[in-house]
Amino acid sequence: MFDNNVFLENTCKNIEEASKITGFELKTNITYYRGIPLSMVNDIRVEVDGENVPRESILCSVDGVDWFTLDEMETVTSYKWEYGEPLTVRARKDGGLAKGTHEVALDVVVRTAYIPVPLAGRKARTVEIA
Amino acid sequence: MSKIKTCVSLYSLQDEYLNKRMSLEDIFKFLADNSVEGIEFLPDQMMHNSPHPSKETLAEWDRLVSTYKMKPVIADVFLNTNIYKNRELTQKECVNLLIEEIKLANRLGIRLIRLVSMVPAFVIEPLLPYAEKYNVTLALEIHAGLGFDVQKTQDFIKEMKRLNSPYVGLVIDAGIFCKRLPRVMANYCQQLLGTSQEVIDYVNNIFAQGTDPRKVILEHNGFPDDLKKLLKSEADHFFAHFADGYENEPYSILDEYMPFIKHFHFKLFEMTESCEEYSIDYKGLLQYLHEKGYEGYVSTEYEGNRWVLPGNPMEEIEQVLAHQALIRSVINELEGQEVY
Repeated sequence: MFDNNVFLENTCKNIEEASKITGFELKTNITYYRGIPLSMVNDIRVEVDGENVPRESILCSVDGVDWFTLDEMETVTSYKWEYGEPLTVRARKDGGLAKGTHEVALDVVVRTAYIPVPLAGRKARTVEIA
Repeated sequence: MSKIKTCVSLYSLQDEYLNKRMSLEDIFKFLADNSVEGIEFLPDQMMHNSPHPSKETLAEWDRLVSTYKMKPVIADVFLNTNIYKNRELTQKECVNLLIEEIKLANRLGIRLIRLVSMVPAFVIEPLLPYAEKYNVTLALEIHAGLGFDVQKTQDFIKEMKRLNSPYVGLVIDAGIFCKRLPRVMANYCQQLLGTSQEVIDYVNNIFAQGTDPRKVILEHNGFPDDLKKLLKSEADHFFAHFADGYENEPYSILDEYMPFIKHFHFKLFEMTESCEEYSIDYKGLLQYLHEKGYEGYVSTEYEGNRWVLPGNPMEEIEQVLAHQALIRSVINELEGQEVY
């Protein structure tokens, strides 16, 4: 239903910090039709070539300035994931994604105010790392 | 002078906005160019940092409203009762959040708030002084799947009747009047998820018999046995569960609530080639409202956008225009008869 919102095209790339590749990131829109505080994000899962990225390696940011782990996000009520503004999802991993082609999948699960089950979306993309 | 007034919910254009094909200004301009005079607005959707937007954001809102002569009719407000994972908000927390929404609506020039379904009844009395002070009416949405038979809806209605204030009422979503299951929803489930034709036929048949999945499920304390036998995959289950979000009520269910009804969502799933809504008979519904003397707004709320198959074009603009043309022409016909 909101799958089309997940994992924006051409956003998956390695992150370089102090001339070292420390992981990779990708961007996604929300699986909902309005913005909500980050505390209402139930789960974010990243899968690379069939393997899950460990939950504790994932960091998210709505502004590219302040980053939160998924456990931390549970209490983050003053940063809003706006509708139409992508969330950046980072996975910490020394060396990032190896050169070549990867199958990367992203799951986004958010709580709504009134629907008893969380709203989920998933998108897998073939990603080329140069 | 028409009594039933039309407007468009910006919910209808959510994909245009999300994917940045249309900015908020583009949406205002598009609607103004097509003689739409009123809008329904979701602050959480198209106004950053709502309910505390920046001064700049508010100045931009004022500019758009005055440039395009748009009347902001109603704000769709949500209550994040589950903002924390480990507990529900208290009464005091709920009331405080909604006070901020009332102040924002007032600032935006909006006199009516749609409270999302399932908002607890205990917020109403403490909010009344704020509703009066800021001249903003609070109206609970009656939405299919969370309709008149749901406990929290009944609790709200009971409290609304007890308080009997002009500042408390209801918004009716026309999704409670589906004569047929939306075809776009069934197609999406079948083609993308793999729901079987047998399960879809079963649900279509429920509507054909003049009832709806929700009532059937309630009668049987769950899915009836013959339906259970058909449910073979996750996609079948998803479809069967989701189908209870479309109700098939008679218009007369509104009779006793008419004095409290402040607004209608005219839900739109799919305009057909014959310029009718596939599931909801708007001619019939408008005839009913005309006879009852309804004088509020009816708002086009397109929701077929969520059932567009990947790779297919989004048709929010076309669908909104076709639906507006339909409901305006029906209203003109109904009200024109009284000229003589």
